[in-house]
Amino acid sequence: MELVRQSIALLSFFVIPTMLVAFPLYGLYKRVPVYEAFVDGAKEGFNVAVRIIPYLVAILFAIGMFRASGAMDFMADALGPLLALVGFPAEVLPMAIIRPLTGSGSAGVVAEMIQVYGEDSLFVKMAAVMFGSTETTFYVVAVYFGAVNIKKTRHAVPAGLTADFAAMLIAVWTVRLLFG
Amino acid sequence: MLNYIWSGLIVASLVFALWYDLGDLAADRYRNGQALPVDVVVPSTYLPDARTVDVTIQVDPADYQAFYGTEAAPATGSYGGTLLQTAEGRQLRFDATESLPELFATIATQSQSNDGGLQGTLVDFGPPTGSTTLPATVRFERVRFVKMNAISQAALDFATTAAEIALGLIGVLALFLGLLKIGEEAGIIHALVRLVRPVLKPLFPEIPEDHPALGMIALNLTANVFGLGNAATPFGIKAMEQLQELNPTEDTATNSMVMLLAINTASVQIMPPVLLLALLGLQINQLIFAIIITTGLSLVIAIAATKIYGRFPGSRASDPHRVAE
Repeated sequence: MELVRQSIALLSFFVIPTMLVAFPLYGLYKRVPVYEAFVDGAKEGFNVAVRIIPYLVAILFAIGMFRASGAMDFMADALGPLLALVGFPAEVLPMAIIRPLTGSGSAGVVAEMIQVYGEDSLFVKMAAVMFGSTETTFYVVAVYFGAVNIKKTRHAVPAGLTADFAAMLIAVWTVRLLFG
Repeated sequence: MLNYIWSGLIVASLVFALWYDLGDLAADRYRNGQALPVDVVVPSTYLPDARTVDVTIQVDPADYQAFYGTEAAPATGSYGGTLLQTAEGRQLRFDATESLPELFATIATQSQSNDGGLQGTLVDFGPPTGSTTLPATVRFERVRFVKMNAISQAALDFATTAAEIALGLIGVLALFLGLLKIGEEAGIIHALVRLVRPVLKPLFPEIPEDHPALGMIALNLTANVFGLGNAATPFGIKAMEQLQELNPTEDTATNSMVMLLAINTASVQIMPPVLLLALLGLQINQLIFAIIITTGLSLVIAIAATKIYGRFPGSRASDPHRVAE
C-alpha cells in the first residue's frame, strides 16, 4: 500500500504544475491572448467568494450552535443502541455525526480518539476511514450552490446524507473485515 | 429539505442548551453561592493591609471532589495567584495562565478578573497566625446558563469564520478561474468534453453534447481524485456556473447540479486528506485500501440515491426543466 500511496502522491505533485504551464503554453500556440484571458477569468474570483458568504454564514453558524449546545452527545446516546444493531460501535458515533457538518471539527474528533483509544485501535481506524472517504456535505452544499445562488437544493442534501450514512457503515464493516 | 435540517439544527441547539443549563441549575453543579475551602500561601513578608500580594493557592483534591460532588480531581492542587484588597472585600485571583480543571475553567467564563483569570471573593479569611499557609474559603460568581452563552458565542464566532473562509478563497479562485478562461479560449475544455463524454453523459443526461460544463466537471473530478481540494473547488464552482447557464430557473437546482453535488459530497478522492496524514502519519498506509473501497462504494450509492430520489414526485415537480415546459 505504501507504493500505491507514494505513486498517487507523486502523480498529484504534477497535476497542478502541469496545468499551470500547459494551459498558457497551449493557449499561446493557439494564438489566444493568454494574459488578457487569464485576467479576464480571474476577475470573477472576488465575486464568487463574496457570493458564497451568505450561504456559508447560514450553514456554519447553525452548525456552530449545534456543536456548542451539546446536542451531539445527546444524539450519540440516543442513536447508539439503534446503530449497535447493525454492528456500529457507539465509540465512533460522534465522528459519524460530525463528519458531514464540519471538516476541522471531525479532524478534532480523530485527534481526540487517538488520545483516548490509541493510534492502533480499531475505533481510530474506523474514524480515519470515515474522515478519508467522505466530504463535509454541508460545506460543499453551501459553497457550490452558493456560488450560483441556488437556494432550492431539491434532493441534493438527502442524496448527500444517504451517501454519507452508507459510507459510515461501510467504513466500519471494511475496517472490521480487514483488521478485526 | 435543507429548510428543515437548517431550522432543526438551530432549534435543537436552543432546546439542548436549555436542557443542559436547567440540569446544571437543578443539580447545582457549580455550587453557586457556596464557598470552597482553599489554603492561601502568602510570602513571609505578608502584611494584612497590602493591596496586592502574590500568593500560591492550594486546593486539596479531596476537598474539591467533596465540594463539587465529582469524581474528577484537579491535576495539580496548586496555582499561582494574587490576593487583592478591594472595596468589596478580599478577592482571590488565579493567574490567567494557569491550566484549571474543567469545572474551574467553566466557572472562570463567568467569574473572572479583567485579565481573564478565575477570580472569587474570599470569605472566612482569618488574620495571620504566624504561619504563611492561611486557611480560607472562596466564593465564585454565580454560574448560570453556560450553554446558552456558548451557543450565542458560537453563532457569532462561526459567522465570522464563514466570511473568513469565503474571503480566503478569493486568491485560489482567481488563479484557477483565470487558468480556466485560457483553457476555454484555447479549446482545451472542448477537447476534454469530447474525451469524457462517453463516461459522464449517462450521469448528466441533461447537458447538451459539446457543452463545456462536462469538461469542467471532468476537471473537478480529476482534482478531487488526487486530493487537490484547492483546485477542485474552483473547477466545481465553474462547472456549477455552466450548469446554471442551462438552468431555466434562477434559484432551483437542476438534476445535473444535484448529481455534481452528490458526487462531490461523496468525495471521490483516492489520496487521503492532508489533515488525516498529519494526524496519523505513516499509519495511513494500512488504511488506503479501506478508504478506496469505502469511497468507491459510497460514490455508487450517492449516484444511485440521486437518481432514485430524482424520480420521487416531489423532486419531479420541482425539476426546473419540467417546470419550464
